[in-house]
Amino acid sequence: MSDTAIRAERLCKTYRIGQRREIQNTLRDQLTESIKSAFRRSKKTSTVDDSFWALKDVSFEIPHGQNVGIIGLNGAGKSTLLKVLSRITEPTKGYARIEGRVGSLLEVGTGFHWELTGRENVYLYGSILGMAKHEIARKFDAIVDFSGVEKFLDTPVKRYSSGMYVRLAFAVAAHLEPEILMIDEVLSVGDLPFQQKCMQFAKNLQQGNATILFVSHNMFSIKTMCKRVIFIKNGQIKFDGPTDDGIRVYEKECRLDNLTWIDSDPEDWPIHLTDIALHDEEGRTKNIFDYGERMRIKLKFHGRREIKRPNIIVAFIRSDGVACCNFSSALDDVDVPAICEDGGLELLTPPLKLVSEMYTIHVLVREEGFQQAVCAQVGMTFHVRHSTLDTHFGVFHEPAQWVWNPGEEAHSPDIDARSNTGSFVE
Amino acid sequence: MNSTQLNALPKPITEIRPSNRFFNLDLATVFRYRGLLYFLVWRELKIRYKQAAIGVGWAVIQPVLTVLIFTAVFGHFARIPSDGIPYPIFAFTALLPWTYFSEAMRRGATGLVDDAQLISKIYFPRLVIPLAMVVAPMFDFLLTFIVLVGVMAWYNIVPTWGTLLLPLFLLQAVILALAVDLWLGPINVRYRDVKHTMPFLIQIWMYASPVVYPLSMIPERWRLLYSLNPMVGVIEGFRWVLLGKGNPDFFAMGLSACLVLLLLFGGLIYFKRMERFFADVI
Repeated sequence: MSDTAIRAERLCKTYRIGQRREIQNTLRDQLTESIKSAFRRSKKTSTVDDSFWALKDVSFEIPHGQNVGIIGLNGAGKSTLLKVLSRITEPTKGYARIEGRVGSLLEVGTGFHWELTGRENVYLYGSILGMAKHEIARKFDAIVDFSGVEKFLDTPVKRYSSGMYVRLAFAVAAHLEPEILMIDEVLSVGDLPFQQKCMQFAKNLQQGNATILFVSHNMFSIKTMCKRVIFIKNGQIKFDGPTDDGIRVYEKECRLDNLTWIDSDPEDWPIHLTDIALHDEEGRTKNIFDYGERMRIKLKFHGRREIKRPNIIVAFIRSDGVACCNFSSALDDVDVPAICEDGGLELLTPPLKLVSEMYTIHVLVREEGFQQAVCAQVGMTFHVRHSTLDTHFGVFHEPAQWVWNPGEEAHSPDIDARSNTGSFVE
Repeated sequence: MNSTQLNALPKPITEIRPSNRFFNLDLATVFRYRGLLYFLVWRELKIRYKQAAIGVGWAVIQPVLTVLIFTAVFGHFARIPSDGIPYPIFAFTALLPWTYFSEAMRRGATGLVDDAQLISKIYFPRLVIPLAMVVAPMFDFLLTFIVLVGVMAWYNIVPTWGTLLLPLFLLQAVILALAVDLWLGPINVRYRDVKHTMPFLIQIWMYASPVVYPLSMIPERWRLLYSLNPMVGVIEGFRWVLLGKGNPDFFAMGLSACLVLLLLFGGLIYFKRMERFFADVI
């Protein structure tokens, strides 16, 4: 056996896009199209380059026992790469060689049948993932134990909560005992204890010298899981190396791409954002902030006409779409001078009390307080880090004040209302 | 298992490259996934009659009702001859293989699309799906067969020793259904028109087969052409082995069997060529 678990050589994958695919949706269209093309002079003219390269010359080698994170924006080709490597779809060109038993989890629970019970689904899903019947029977108790749904084993899964469903599905997948595991953003499901179980499971796999290929948007989990990252952009590898460097490249590359308009062409808007940068209080560039840290956001604008009394609004949107907080210069009674041509603005947030997650910054500019929006853009993403606080604790967390009350009413005047930190009043 | 033990085992090698033009069925992989085939068949059986009060009873009620309707319409009102066999028995012996075949064909043609999620997210040899869809309806076939034997007893008809040849004709129906599915399944992945065409295809095919009328109604000079429909051989074969009536045209039967094999072989090649794009277009 060699040291290499996965070797990819110039993998390419093209998809047809544009007219041809749109038109030929029914048999009749296909027939008319093929008749038409029969009368064309040469075949080449009809296949103008309407192909889209989902992967282009992707080459890498991964030794046994290494965890590699695959990062990139949506549509960069990460999932296509996993699909090719797990043989769901075929590459157009290139070659790959994988040594070891492959387990791929592109989605947890595909193959579960709603009408079947939990017990039946364990067998069905196990066999879909490639386990033999006796293997599933042998691991059955361990699977049920891991999932924590033993009470509902004989209930059809259509009556399960989504959490139970995912837990049972993941429990089956976790017992596949693969030597090479490819996962697409699936460890981020379930509640906190279950997530910890999953991370423990990934660590155990790693100790057993398994190779893990991990696709995620969450730089935080990439950092904790992988020492190496492959950054893919437009189907090509932009960076392959140590995680910290990779994430830096990724963030730099994605920064301008991230400055997209929420809708329509930037030219249609009177003012637009030309740059956005995140720093800590001391001015160091970063995008992973510890819970409680303050953030300095530097914005640069370019106006095509004069915007009177602009109201700059900066919103934090969590990765699951929850709008978490909003800063507005008008609400804070800040007089931003009229913007014409270029202008810059800096915002220092209060200590961030948001829970550990990924957030995207949306920037909105309104004219004359809350009048017409003149700019609406999606800026950068950042992460908040905390060892326990996550979305299960809500949107934000603030320490409260507590009073221990042994059998009688609380003496509320004892609580110092001006104190900011949580404390125990005796 | 510790890592030294792991390293000692030979590791399976997976090679990924664009498949070449040569015909490679890779039946070894299908065989390795026989467990999945088993569970897909089992799933089909489990979900088919779930949350139905009569449950598996439907497998019996459906063919019996169809026989009654056919007997009333074609036997009584239309007075279609049945070669001296009581009409219910005449229709039932044909409906037994026909119901199996039409069901296997219908489910096999749409099965890939019904399991689209599976195909776009998980690797397994795609051939397992049409295989499961032609195996699953055999369960209904068995139940119906038992009912048929009962009805024949009612009419004082005892199955002949020829019944032992029945699996041979069933096999032809199975292979035919599989062959048709290997063609229609991939087309349905790309063009959902197949799904809408199925009911008509099944109806036309039934009236082109001697289900409600006897083969003897077909003029002699058209009979060979008519017999190219492989279901003619299957249905005539069923009547022959179960009732001992009729003298089958072995030449026509052999010809239609060859046709089925040809269709199967072509279907396998076609399926294999198309399956590469299933996940992309489904």
